[in-house]
Amino acid sequence: MIRFILSRGLRAVVTIFLVVTFAFIVLRLSGDPAMQILSVDAPPEAIAAFRNEWGLNQPIWQQFLDYLLNVLHGNFGDSMREGRPAMDIVLEHVGATLMITLPALALKIVIGIPAGIYAALHRNSLADRMTMMISVAGFTVPSFVLALVLVLIFSVHLGWLPSTGNATWKHAILPIVTLGTAGAAILARFTRSAMLEVLGQSYIRAASAKGLIWRQVVTGHALPNAAIPTVTIVGFMIGSLIAGAVVVESVFSWPGIGYLLISAVANRDLAIVQSILLLIALCMVCANLVVDLLYGWIDPRVRLRSAH
Amino acid sequence: MILTRRNLLKSGAAMGGALALPRFAIGQTKRPSITIAVQQVSNSASLEPLREQSNVGTRIFATIYDRLINQDLPRSLDTVPGLAESWERIDHRTVELNLRQGVKFHNGDELTADDVVFSFGAERMFGEGYVADSNATLFTNVLVRDNVKGKELPAEVVAVAKRNWPSIERVESVSKYKVRFVNKTPDVTMEGRMARMGSEIVSQRGFSEAESWLEWSRKPVGTGPYMVEEFIPDQKLVLRAHDEYWGGRPPVEKITMLVVPEVASRVNGLYSGEFDFICDMPPDQIDGIESHAAFEVQGGLIPNHRLTVFDKHHPQLVDPRIRRAMTHAIDRQLIVDSIWSGRTRVPAGLQWEFYGPMFIEGWTVPEYDVEKARQLVKDAGYKGDPIPYRLLNNYYTNQVATGQILVEMWRQAGLNVEIQMKENWQQIFDQSTQRGVRDWSNSAPFNDPISSIVNQHGPNGQQQQAGEWSNEEMNKLSGMMEVETDMARRKAQFKRMLEICEREDPAYTVLHQNATFTGKRKDIQWKAAPSFAMDFRQGNFAI
Repeated sequence: MIRFILSRGLRAVVTIFLVVTFAFIVLRLSGDPAMQILSVDAPPEAIAAFRNEWGLNQPIWQQFLDYLLNVLHGNFGDSMREGRPAMDIVLEHVGATLMITLPALALKIVIGIPAGIYAALHRNSLADRMTMMISVAGFTVPSFVLALVLVLIFSVHLGWLPSTGNATWKHAILPIVTLGTAGAAILARFTRSAMLEVLGQSYIRAASAKGLIWRQVVTGHALPNAAIPTVTIVGFMIGSLIAGAVVVESVFSWPGIGYLLISAVANRDLAIVQSILLLIALCMVCANLVVDLLYGWIDPRVRLRSAH
Repeated sequence: MILTRRNLLKSGAAMGGALALPRFAIGQTKRPSITIAVQQVSNSASLEPLREQSNVGTRIFATIYDRLINQDLPRSLDTVPGLAESWERIDHRTVELNLRQGVKFHNGDELTADDVVFSFGAERMFGEGYVADSNATLFTNVLVRDNVKGKELPAEVVAVAKRNWPSIERVESVSKYKVRFVNKTPDVTMEGRMARMGSEIVSQRGFSEAESWLEWSRKPVGTGPYMVEEFIPDQKLVLRAHDEYWGGRPPVEKITMLVVPEVASRVNGLYSGEFDFICDMPPDQIDGIESHAAFEVQGGLIPNHRLTVFDKHHPQLVDPRIRRAMTHAIDRQLIVDSIWSGRTRVPAGLQWEFYGPMFIEGWTVPEYDVEKARQLVKDAGYKGDPIPYRLLNNYYTNQVATGQILVEMWRQAGLNVEIQMKENWQQIFDQSTQRGVRDWSNSAPFNDPISSIVNQHGPNGQQQQAGEWSNEEMNKLSGMMEVETDMARRKAQFKRMLEICEREDPAYTVLHQNATFTGKRKDIQWKAAPSFAMDFRQGNFAI
């Protein structure tokens, strides 16, 4: 087990290093922060002074080495726009993002998994076809389109809900519904196909043949075996809690991580973008690690394979 | 009313209460609060005009600050008395200004000459140890505090200040309400520079009490009609009425500017009643908004022109006849009518009417004449070699559509111009491959050609600094004009500059004047200024 965790941990460190390196190089090759932040019409002297102040006129390898050393000391750099530690700014926005992504995750699980199970158990029925039709629509409609449609209906025409900002709990409803709809649709499809595959296995027939009632077959044998692909998807969704709402936050002007990321990329606020990517990579790596461990817990065969 | 003892007592109590109230609160009715959706409040996350040199910054600064000499918003951009009620030219290097008395800062302090001296001093503008281009600079009245830690000015603030005031020698207090500006060289633009962005007057105590420059720049203390209550970069700016404003009680209690980057979200918010104003509207949204009876779109021309800029070092553009052909091949009015819905105009070259006596009457952009363009191309012996046109994806409103139209117009004249899409300005200016044509816009921060043609295309301007273009005569004229005091000679110099830059050896060609549009509730009586600035002072807002 320790070997398993160590190998996964090492892989995680390499992944994070690659993400950080890639982000660092691409960001520096894709535009001059001085011109973005001060505007192209700023006096040339001001742009030169800014570049000098932030070390942007040093060779890129020098900048990268400095950055790595600072990160190892827990210093993720300062925001060029705000002049404050970048990670502080990023962490200030995490709460707002979680305020919509956590309820959206709950919505996805509560709606998506039961819908998928129900559709699988009623394969080819009208209910199955309806569920899948809604599911296909749910994950094929881009989130910004769904967001705008919801705003048109519930904000513009009905006037029930606000469309932008985060001033009250009501402001969170439309972003949560937008995020939850696509995720629930994806979960429903994956759960259905996983269930269908399991229900066709011989051990399900064996369980039925030995006289178990159908509910016992489903809950005792089908569901645990169908859980692995579903857990993978849920794990991915948990990993995306921090960064999975970029478009939705932008449409609803919800001041979370995604909103900050768009602004930081547009302004080439390098330290902010790097800190966000680092955080996203960490979340993804941790979520994957947890999923790997869960596999072993859910399916004893995985544990046995690891042991051998 | 029958006079009874009870009524008499009531009246007495009411009068006593009224006397106890501050003067500004007497007889005041409750004012509305408004919400404005904007694409961005401040690009640099700062409310200090010396750092936030942008259009979006221009929008808010007139609400927070005043200058010694203001612009006549919302009517025009003419200069009018601001915090200085009068001023006098002592000589070509010196201006004395009489300050308005009784002006209050947002922190309650009265404006004095010391605040003006501070606002133009080392601590706020030029940085410690500032030395101008030549001779020693005497900021004799600046009190440099010992505890400046955390108050160091960002380098770009100092650079902007020096660009705005390249030859200022000193600003000194003559008396409590009189200040004197002394330049090292003769300069007829001093008054104009006082009216430009970056010359806002701030409270010395407000600056000193802030923990750091950053804190100051987020909650500056000015004398404007509204004070900063809360500023969260990239999210919102909340302004509260400054009831002791010298120009009269502000008509709005609270202005909340929300950052809503998506156009569709801003429009939906207007329709749903969440926003009273929505800014930064592209022209293609105007008809949609105005199709609703409850809303209208206001705004229009701003002191900013869209240009096409040439790199004369490109093998095809070395010959000025090719550049001249390009200027004649453009049907500018067609661009204005088609993609701007006729809501802007083709200006008279790189100049604005608010230049006043320096405006060159009768000057125009090169006439649209395809035959003439074709002849110039033929005379230049052009063989059809491609001319690169580096284009950003709608950094400017309608930029890509305009670029595509231009390429087709140039094709009509026999020119092979190829669009190269770029992601950022660094790629636009990149010299590792041959540059040809690019887009730009030029503003006039104050009412003199120095502020645009000299600052942008003169020897220290961006175009020459970027190595795209230079012209010996233009550079000589720029130097002469900066110190010339005879208005007739200055005007002649400016005209000659236009002839060089727009006709003989084109550095650029003006396409159209830029415009900005604001959607709003129709029941709000408010007039947009001919600028990005939004004016919510008394007289320009009512419901």
